[in-house]
Amino acid sequence: MALVCRFLSSTNAPRKCLKPCAALRLPPGLVAAYCSRSLQKPGASPGRASQQSRPEEGLQGHEPKEVTLDVPSSEEQPEVSFDKAIRDEVKDHLRRLKDEVLNHWVGPEGRPLHKVLLEQTRVVWQFRGKEDLDKWVVTSDKTIGGRSEVFLKMGKNNQSALLYGTLSSEPPKDGESSQSGFCAMISRVVRGAFERRMCYDWSQYNSLYLRVRGDGRPWMVNIREQKDFIQSKDQMYSYFMYTRGGPYWQEVKIPFSKFFFSNKGRIRDAQYKLMLDKISSIGFTLADKVDGPFFLEIDFIGVFTDPAHTEEFAYENSPVLNPRLFR
Amino acid sequence: MSCVRAALLARGLPRGRAAICSAILPGAPFSQVSPLLPRGLHCSATPYTSTKSLVPRPSEPEKKPGKVPAPHEELFQRAPGSARDKASFVRAVQSFGQHNVRKRGHVDFIYLALRKMREYGVERDLAAYNLLLDIFPKEVFRPRNIFQRIFIHYPRQQECGVAVLEQMENHGVMPNKETEFLLLQIFGRRSHPMLKFVRMRLWLTRFQNVNPFPVPRELPQDAVELATLGLRHMEPDLSARVTVYQKPSPDDTRDPADSIQPHIVGIQSPDQQDALARHNPARPLFVEGPFSLWLRNKCVYYHILRADLLPPEEKEVQEIPEEWNLYYPMQLDLDYARSGWDDYEFDIDEVEEGPVFAICMAGAHDQETLARWIQGLQETNPALARIPVVFRLAGSTGELLAASGLEDSRQSQREGQEEDERVQRQQQGQS
Repeated sequence: MALVCRFLSSTNAPRKCLKPCAALRLPPGLVAAYCSRSLQKPGASPGRASQQSRPEEGLQGHEPKEVTLDVPSSEEQPEVSFDKAIRDEVKDHLRRLKDEVLNHWVGPEGRPLHKVLLEQTRVVWQFRGKEDLDKWVVTSDKTIGGRSEVFLKMGKNNQSALLYGTLSSEPPKDGESSQSGFCAMISRVVRGAFERRMCYDWSQYNSLYLRVRGDGRPWMVNIREQKDFIQSKDQMYSYFMYTRGGPYWQEVKIPFSKFFFSNKGRIRDAQYKLMLDKISSIGFTLADKVDGPFFLEIDFIGVFTDPAHTEEFAYENSPVLNPRLFR
Repeated sequence: MSCVRAALLARGLPRGRAAICSAILPGAPFSQVSPLLPRGLHCSATPYTSTKSLVPRPSEPEKKPGKVPAPHEELFQRAPGSARDKASFVRAVQSFGQHNVRKRGHVDFIYLALRKMREYGVERDLAAYNLLLDIFPKEVFRPRNIFQRIFIHYPRQQECGVAVLEQMENHGVMPNKETEFLLLQIFGRRSHPMLKFVRMRLWLTRFQNVNPFPVPRELPQDAVELATLGLRHMEPDLSARVTVYQKPSPDDTRDPADSIQPHIVGIQSPDQQDALARHNPARPLFVEGPFSLWLRNKCVYYHILRADLLPPEEKEVQEIPEEWNLYYPMQLDLDYARSGWDDYEFDIDEVEEGPVFAICMAGAHDQETLARWIQGLQETNPALARIPVVFRLAGSTGELLAASGLEDSRQSQREGQEEDERVQRQQQGQS
């Protein structure tokens, strides 16, 4: 529905000229597609459905609607109109906004303050059903023309997420890439009312906790901060997650102080601490240059306070590399 | 030749300027100007076409019959009878110096040598990299005034130096003082290769020993040793015992998959042994697998012996009688939790799975081999003779734990086999 909104707001003129011809009806195919999509993703925010990259989605979203406006309506159709859809959408967003405001009155994220302050652990992502998988996106180097494949589904016991696929480090034959081979799983950015980007506040915790089962491959955990400038969209904080392999579950605890700062995949000379009150998303990347199948099972991802961990930041800056910091 | 995987560090190095510089300085004794090369135009075609990647793309031999050979290729093709090892690599590099006193085309040669390093098995050899850096003429590329320092001086040579360091980084080779000395002599203190060197010194040391589950760099060639290493790697219990149930037949130890008698190596901890002894014989055990385990770049497969999760009503809590010791009670029911802020448990039901009783690695993934493993396990676990064992084997490829849907379809096929197996086990138990 947000797509509809976006489309209408961007192209106001066709709407005006089409309004006189009574009911703005969508063809059945589109309606079916739309309905099924919204059925698939009841939890996810509308309009941000399964596509991996936003620009593509925009293109794909626009094209069928341009066609639809010219197509005359056929006989039997469900009662769907643009106006009603927009009204429902706005109502929905207003309702969510109201919930947010009321929740804020109660305490952070709708929980009373005395509970939040006493909390030492918190489960942020868990995998107990299909709807939990909708909070994640998987990508591989297919986006740049590589051959890796990655899939995400519920595990055998239907209680954990299974990320599996094949890594291939064969570079794409586009004439400029010389290396390739990555698979990644990234959490979606939480959206509030009116599609505002929300962020997590983990400032009272100091460690990340993962309960995983892998096959011995090293992964990288990437945490993104919410940034306001487009220049910092490639910046993230990373650390390694080594899996033991084998049939046993493994508990991985990574203190947030260990995360190092990188931009476009290159470690920056000037290192800064991860700002825990503006966490936008988390991701797992596999790029160990070993071709073959892989899997990673994730039970849940949480944050907790480790009272024994007092380190602020693990990496000191070097006066050789960035003398300006030492002036 | 995937050894050449360096990405452009100094992507901002303007290519155009590189061309201009080399065009302006045609008379400079060591510049890479194409017309001056004695071998004709096509010799320097490689560096100029590869404007995007730092190292030119590896040439593919099967692409075209009339492929232009890379310059200096013949240095690496000499002496076909000799083995490709470090000595022949060093000889090739040294012969470049003798063959070419003025070191013309040394950048091309270094790129070529970087690509050849994996063939010669020296990609993790620091001395070989230092030897490559030693090819650069000394003192020529050092900036001499402020303007040369501002604008990148000899960018192509600097890129080449960065490429050498980048390949070292990709293979985890730590540069030493000799590398630093060479770089200082060649490029000077404020240059891109020197910057890369400082970064490597800083970050490679930080992440050198970060892996909590280390795997040796050189994996053992022997299948039994590799299986032992893999099993020890997986098992968190240090008191677990590795047993070689069957040694591979000595005639063909090279290829364990084809040998008549595949190796079977298993691991079991004392706790697992106790749990297996207490297992209810009415509930069957399952042999599942193969699952994959990666040890560096080698994939090995393992099978597990497990049971289903007990339903909660059958779970028996092993109680420790309080009267064991009156002075030091084994169990205390005191509530030490102070209040809500002292709770360090996650508010979630963790995934519970049935207990694992043993792990094995075998040369073959068929039922016959695994049945022999179970027979070997019976010697230390006599209770196993009374318990039916069901084989749930996925395809031979070892399609991870995801094979649930596959299994359901196989379940019906294997039903007959399972029944046979069960009967067989029970007969064995009775006998």
